[in-house]
Amino acid sequence: MELEIINHDIESMVFGDTTGLSGKELTINHDELKTHLLEDRRIQDIDIQIAVPGESCRIGVVFDIVEPRAKQTGSGSDFPGLLGPFAVAGQGSTHVLRGSAVTVIDPSAFPGITSKMLEMQGEPAAASPYGDLCHLVLSPKLLDNSRRDAVQNALRMLSVKASVYLANVSQGVESDDIDIYNLDQSDTDSRAGIPRIAYIAQIHGHQMTVEVDEPILYGSNTEGMMPMILNPNEILDGALVASYWVMRVETYFYQNHPLIKELLRRHQSKEITFAGVIVTVAASKETDRNRNCMLAANMAKSTLKADGVVLTKYGGGAPHVDMGETARLCEAMGMPTVVQVSDSSGDRKAESAMLFNYPEVDAVIYGGGGDTGWDVGPPERVIAGTPEVAKVLKNLTYIEGGALCGVTNQQGASKIRATVY
Amino acid sequence: MRVVHYLNQFFGGVGGEEFASTGISSQEGAIGPGRLLQKLLGEESEVVTTVICGDNYAAENLDEITEYVVNAVKAAKADLFVAGPCFEAGRYGVAAGAVCAAVSAQLNIPVVTGMAEENPGVDLFRQEIYIIDSGANVGAMSEVLGSMAVILNKLNNDEEMGSPEEEGYIPQGIVRDAILEENAATRILNMIIAKTKGEDYKSELTQTAFEPVPAPPAVKDLTNATIAVVTDGGLVPKGNPDNMPPIAAEIWGSYDIASLDDLEEGDYEVQHRGYDNRHVLNDPDRLVPVDILRELEKAGKIGKVYKEFLSTSGLANPIANSRRLGQEMAKKLKDAGVDAVILTST
Repeated sequence: MELEIINHDIESMVFGDTTGLSGKELTINHDELKTHLLEDRRIQDIDIQIAVPGESCRIGVVFDIVEPRAKQTGSGSDFPGLLGPFAVAGQGSTHVLRGSAVTVIDPSAFPGITSKMLEMQGEPAAASPYGDLCHLVLSPKLLDNSRRDAVQNALRMLSVKASVYLANVSQGVESDDIDIYNLDQSDTDSRAGIPRIAYIAQIHGHQMTVEVDEPILYGSNTEGMMPMILNPNEILDGALVASYWVMRVETYFYQNHPLIKELLRRHQSKEITFAGVIVTVAASKETDRNRNCMLAANMAKSTLKADGVVLTKYGGGAPHVDMGETARLCEAMGMPTVVQVSDSSGDRKAESAMLFNYPEVDAVIYGGGGDTGWDVGPPERVIAGTPEVAKVLKNLTYIEGGALCGVTNQQGASKIRATVY
Repeated sequence: MRVVHYLNQFFGGVGGEEFASTGISSQEGAIGPGRLLQKLLGEESEVVTTVICGDNYAAENLDEITEYVVNAVKAAKADLFVAGPCFEAGRYGVAAGAVCAAVSAQLNIPVVTGMAEENPGVDLFRQEIYIIDSGANVGAMSEVLGSMAVILNKLNNDEEMGSPEEEGYIPQGIVRDAILEENAATRILNMIIAKTKGEDYKSELTQTAFEPVPAPPAVKDLTNATIAVVTDGGLVPKGNPDNMPPIAAEIWGSYDIASLDDLEEGDYEVQHRGYDNRHVLNDPDRLVPVDILRELEKAGKIGKVYKEFLSTSGLANPIANSRRLGQEMAKKLKDAGVDAVILTST
């Protein structure tokens, strides 16, 4: 399965008469886009703004960030099962407006412990993978008395529709460069003695309720989902989007998944053979937990024939436990593991850092963020879902690392490590 | 700088194990390892008093020797306090840790000691004081004293303390952030390649070892037992009368169920943000099973259901806080004559 990613670099984003790409400048016809997005009758009105790197601008509460992408005409389906018709993602050609993002504001969310913001200048911007992107920020107003699940579904559809709308301008335009993703395992002879590494990735945590119409994987809400094998290309190419309740993950992250890219890179350099990705969900019930952990570990062993397994988690504490149990089972089957945990120590004491205690799960990447943050002043511009949120954002004097999108990602992207002193 | 140094009978030159019951005393000036310590601390420092105590005497009279040492440090008008290093000597390590912790807490001056990681003094005092990792080999004395002197001078000059690896002390268990060049994905791959190949790798976090909690003996006669329910699932009466926070609660509540046969939907709410609580809101008995307990009580299978249930929010709750909450709850129930507890978690 080969995926061609056609990159078009974006260095400037402006409103203008015609939506189109000219060199590295993306021009957007504001009214045309607005009309397109207002086809969704659940949306009463929508505020569309542009925020660029270095601007004194604060944005929140972010529902999701999506990289503008569109399948090359005739070469596949955009966000299959969610926006486009069913087709296997991860093959054919995909146009990417690299350096830009569609950022959707959640008008029904209030800044809180998992609040999600963007800061476009200074140290906070430099610390976030989203600080140097040109953002098209969509701040919709939903119909009065909309149910929360209807609001969220509208936000989700908005994010992918806008992403495809923008990226379609690059159809037929000459690209800056092209990346090929192809997990070719056919050269088995030259791979003798190279460890086969599988990746067990949690894509949701059922500690939080999923909605009936909540699209996550090929449009499925993952309820009742058991572990399954995906080609890594599928994750990079629109099969997977962030769930409504998220901690530290955005759809943009999946589209550029640093751990999957690193696995593919090390496969290419023959340091490992990338055996494949097993996606799973963290459970809310003991039976589901035991079933999922067992099946995921066995799939790595029996189907992917892995020699070693890397594991990452979703969400908070319950998924942490599931990942630990899956790693324990992998170790028991003779597959060494590395897990990435996020620091759970509210009191900054190492004894509170971990939620499992298995001596054999002894290779831990320890993500931090608990005492990273920045003093900030009032920005010139705030883009928020409501006046109340705008006021809170404007008056912030300190931004915690965990409150900024992307800074404390727990699936391979973050550079903040917690260290025990 | 005026320094007081604590030694056991062996390093203090009194004698070996046969002198371990020797009581506590002080002498002017540096003795044994103290002489080298003085040199390493630099010209401005002087060991003015050495306190010496037998290991057995210290182990049996820990409070007394702690008080003695604090007074000796006070009397000497000391600026700095050092104990050991103790290497693997367990009684020595516990005493050195105790006197260092007491001097630090009561007199607020820099203190340091040294021990092997296996020394029982380490787990008792590592969170409170700096303990240089001495290893087991007494032959490393001068190197260990050197690291101790560096730490002491840094503390004295209010300099920023480096990592345990840089400074040679045993980790105190305090979590701090560091921003690295490599992202987690790169580190994950480096580590899995090393681990699968059987090469050395260093975990970024060493798991804390916890003492196993032994299962208590079975209740002998349930028909006469009083049973209580305790939950960390955050169930509280509607309106949340105690203002239970939904994350890392520092309080617990006890709520009257004496006249209830059943917890009704709508009478309760959940203060806990970490789980899908729909089932609990639909029927609170599924977290605090009053309905079934009442049936068992009426059928005479259990003696009595305790008049209240106890509740807290277990979400993201640090260990030290959870331990305190548990101890407080256990004391209340024990004092109330409860024989057994059903714990429900989420």
